Amino acid sequence: MTVSAPVRPLEQAASGPTPKPAKSNAVLEVEDLRVHYVTRFGHKIQAVDGVSFSLKQGEILGIAGESGCGKTTLVSGCMGLYIPPLFHTSGDVRIDGKSIVGMTLEQNRKEVLGQKIAMIPQGALNSLNPTRKIKDMAADMILSHDESADKKSINDRLRERFTRIGLDADHVLNSYPVELPAGTKQRCVIGISTLLNPKVVVADEPTSALDVSTQKAVIKLLFELMDQEIISSMLFITHELPLLRHVSSSIAVMYAGEFVEYGTTEQVIFEGRQPYSRALMGSMLSAEPGQKSRKPVAIEGAPPKLDKPIPGCRFAERCPVAQPDCRTTEQVLRIVAGRQVRCKYADTEVVEQVGGGL
Amino acid sequence: MTDALKFQAKNISRVFGHGKKSVTAVDNVTFEIRDREIISLVGQSGCGKTVLAKMLLRLETPTSGELLFNGKPITATGDPRNHWRQVQAVFQDPFSCFNQFFTIRSQLKSSFRLFETKPSPGEIEERVDQALLAVNIKPKEVEGKYPFELSGGQMQRMLLARIFILKPQVLIADEPTSMVDACSRASILDYLLKLKEELSMTIVFVTHDIGLAYYISDSLYIMHKGKMVDRGAPDDVIKHPTSDVTKQLLEDIPDVHRQWIARGTPVHAAE
Amino acid sequence: MLRKNPTLRHILGRAAWYFVTFLVAVTVNFFLPRLGDANPIDAILAKTNAGDSAGAREKEEAYLRQFGLAEVDAQGKVIRTADGKPVRTGLGKQFVSYLGLTLQGDLGTSFLQFPKPVSEIIKDALPWTLCLQLPTIIFGWLVGNLLGALAAYKRGVFDRIIYPLALLVSAVPAFCVGILMVYYFGIKLEWFPAVGGYDAGTTPALSSDFLSSAAYYYVMPFLSIFMIVVGGQSIGMRSMVIYELGTDYVKYAKLLGIKENKILLYTFRNAMLPQLTGLALALGAMVGGALITEIIFSYPGLGMAILTAIQGNDYPVITGCTLLITVCVLVANFSVDILVGLLDPRIRAAQAAESN
Ligand SMILES: Nc1ncnc2c1ncn2[C@@H]1O[C@H](COP(=O)(O)OP(=O)(O)OP(=O)(O)O)[C@@H](O)[C@H]1O
Ligand SMILES: Nc1ncnc2c1ncn2[C@@H]1O[C@H](COP(=O)(O)OP(=O)(O)OP(=O)(O)O)[C@@H](O)[C@H]1O
Ligand SMILES: [Mg+2]
Ligand SMILES: [Mg+2]
Repeated sequence: MTVSAPVRPLEQAASGPTPKPAKSNAVLEVEDLRVHYVTRFGHKIQAVDGVSFSLKQGEILGIAGESGCGKTTLVSGCMGLYIPPLFHTSGDVRIDGKSIVGMTLEQNRKEVLGQKIAMIPQGALNSLNPTRKIKDMAADMILSHDESADKKSINDRLRERFTRIGLDADHVLNSYPVELPAGTKQRCVIGISTLLNPKVVVADEPTSALDVSTQKAVIKLLFELMDQEIISSMLFITHELPLLRHVSSSIAVMYAGEFVEYGTTEQVIFEGRQPYSRALMGSMLSAEPGQKSRKPVAIEGAPPKLDKPIPGCRFAERCPVAQPDCRTTEQVLRIVAGRQVRCKYADTEVVEQVGGGL
Repeated sequence: MTDALKFQAKNISRVFGHGKKSVTAVDNVTFEIRDREIISLVGQSGCGKTVLAKMLLRLETPTSGELLFNGKPITATGDPRNHWRQVQAVFQDPFSCFNQFFTIRSQLKSSFRLFETKPSPGEIEERVDQALLAVNIKPKEVEGKYPFELSGGQMQRMLLARIFILKPQVLIADEPTSMVDACSRASILDYLLKLKEELSMTIVFVTHDIGLAYYISDSLYIMHKGKMVDRGAPDDVIKHPTSDVTKQLLEDIPDVHRQWIARGTPVHAAE
Repeated sequence: MLRKNPTLRHILGRAAWYFVTFLVAVTVNFFLPRLGDANPIDAILAKTNAGDSAGAREKEEAYLRQFGLAEVDAQGKVIRTADGKPVRTGLGKQFVSYLGLTLQGDLGTSFLQFPKPVSEIIKDALPWTLCLQLPTIIFGWLVGNLLGALAAYKRGVFDRIIYPLALLVSAVPAFCVGILMVYYFGIKLEWFPAVGGYDAGTTPALSSDFLSSAAYYYVMPFLSIFMIVVGGQSIGMRSMVIYELGTDYVKYAKLLGIKENKILLYTFRNAMLPQLTGLALALGAMVGGALITEIIFSYPGLGMAILTAIQGNDYPVITGCTLLITVCVLVANFSVDILVGLLDPRIRAAQAAESN
């Protein structure tokens, strides 16, 4: 990939994949995944409830949704990290065609984590061991997967990679986390996470603790890593839809443990067909001149608790256009206007009364 | 009457440390905050927004310059508690503002302690209920609940409920939306506007997102490395930014209608 | 060089502070006994003068010289007026001579065991205290931390047994444990000698007889301190490790697929840092802390020496011992300061910023 490649025009951003699970060159396939927590009091919380998607080479899938809708839990599920109180209920996760849900934690650690699927965590600023130099933690990461690696080769590898991501490798590698500014720490985390050229990178709100300028720099870095084929595909988790507009090729909107709309970026952002995703978009605001009169509309109420099954549509309680039968009829994902939607009225004008794009 | 000045800062600076290693967090800044307006302090991380906000709250003292509140030096009220009756704040992390070991309701009730004359217990209950309703929370919903049982967005609204109880003249809001998700953000902005409309409050809104600032405020102040580099009515600043910092800030927010990051087509997706 | 090396500058700065503190302690040590109405030295002098024997005269001479109470001539003889009364010096001059002697390590002569120098009394008692406390604290600290870390890491049954036990042990006052042990194992069951440091029949020497009897007498005082140290340390370590296991960096390390035992090492190391502070402080307080245990078991260490001195108003011994305790505590604090700075980059960064 050359730097001088033509800039992707805005209209083409929508040319993402069709959201139907495609068997061909899918790196990550998730099939009807259900994951639950068991609380201290023995209650079962179904935090992810029947999610399916597939991620192809070179694809960035954005997952959006309110706090507590299960984004982080879904990611843990996709990585096979079932550490109590988190348990696998049913469904399958395949990376490169190989299922990872039946694995023991140790097997998963050896073969999957960091190597096939790597995480750039939420709150990355505290993610580095405060009493270990950057190079030592990075070396631990390599050694944990390749015991035969020798010191010299590890050092060379680290220097090469850290220089590539735009850091002063000699200085940064020999520093402790406290000695580095926030933006640099974030870069280090990205550098360490992608050391083993993982197939899938999961970025869980990698920018929510950063200011807008640093956020932009971080996203730029992630793009560069993709262009250099260090990362081949990415799951990008955020609650900022405008950010996903620029980052991802397709978007899944999550609510109460389920996907409620899953389509290309253009479809979800500009022509959403599901009341929740439209409302989510309507709660965003923008700094464009003339937009000041457009009022962001908050979604009233709070997401439902997931400790017992909810009859009917899970969003019905808060839906501004809920119909009498919404609370009783189970909603299923179906294809409307080329994307998956979970709303009985998705193909009617009813949903268009909600929110409205920017 | 809207021309009455709440705050007046004349060449104020705040320097930390001394000698070669000193940090000038706020650098010779002059500005005015009029009654009943929402002003925004916008800038990148570390540009001195919080330090400036703390000076307005009398939590920091300027190392030089003059800071007037209601036309008098800010220290003229003597006991800082007198100042805090008139100037209150909400912060970024609502959880650190509440004690984890007491119920939310009891903590809201204890905010009446700041008043010189405490209302009767019955009136306190009533006013807490009103404040909760003002931020769209049914009093029953939080009855007997502790801070950790609520979400970040709800906790931030609790902080605002406290403001509805205290009814200060000025509210300093230091990044109140940066720890809540995008949907709760819209409701927090709504309540800030409501405070201005219904209680004629003056609000100082601190943020790094010029988009938020643009939406909510009547005047914008752009800060960079302790200095004010741009200021004015939001539409002027957004449409005709005079400084490169403002231009950069505008460019850095991801806006759905505009090219944000130039990017080549990824290798894999090309085929 | 100081400019370039903030750590070194911090260390020197702290060292200067501790030296000033030491001087203050020495000053207080000098003036405090002399503030009362009855100057202890005068009281002792009055007692010796009453005897008026040759020995008493010699003793008086020694005291006067020792404490710089009287002017002395070139040969070091006390200058006396015509009626035999010594020419007294002022308090300021006394202080200067005291300071000089103290800094040379001369702590004076005991009243009770005249003419035994205080330093010798300390030299006799200190090994007992050190032998009792040093291994107990270090060994107890190690075991306590290990148990605490295991309890935190394993949780479950292990934790449910260790934690309440540790809480119980550390909640009981030290003297209770000691007294109960003396009563049950010493007097009732007669498993171990109730009091003393060695058999009356033996004399302190490197003989097998003496050593085996000393070891026998060692068991109970050792256990009484050991249990308390283990209890306290394991509780602290347990909560530190639980905290570290929940931090973001541990979660991230897991997500990276870093090996479990490496992650454990991370958490133990980071949890250990505050514990090291605890160890250094405990070692510093060791000499002073010996008092109660030694008194309960009548163990011939420094604690007993202090007790005897207090009972007999033996001021030179008391001030000598308190000075020693002060110095130990200061040295311990100083080493903690340096140690955590060297081991923890977060604290090092804060210290560097502070000394700017
Ligand atoms: N350890 C746990 N035990 C029980 N329930 C949990 C636990 N962790 C999360 N949950 C529940 O699972 C649901 C999903 O949580 P999750 O952290 O995945 O949300 P999220 O979408 O990542 O939110 P955020 O945007 O705040 O990070 C929430 O309702 C939460 O209450
Ligand atoms: N108590 C302090 N001592 C020394 N320096 C300080 C202190 N408080 C702030 N500073 C420095 O002053 C500068 C401005 O800090 P301030 O907290 O105001 O930034 P900010 O604009 O609020 O940034 P953010 O968006 O990250 O909150 C920073 O460089 C900071 O390091
Ligand atoms: Mg999350
Ligand atoms: Mg700030």
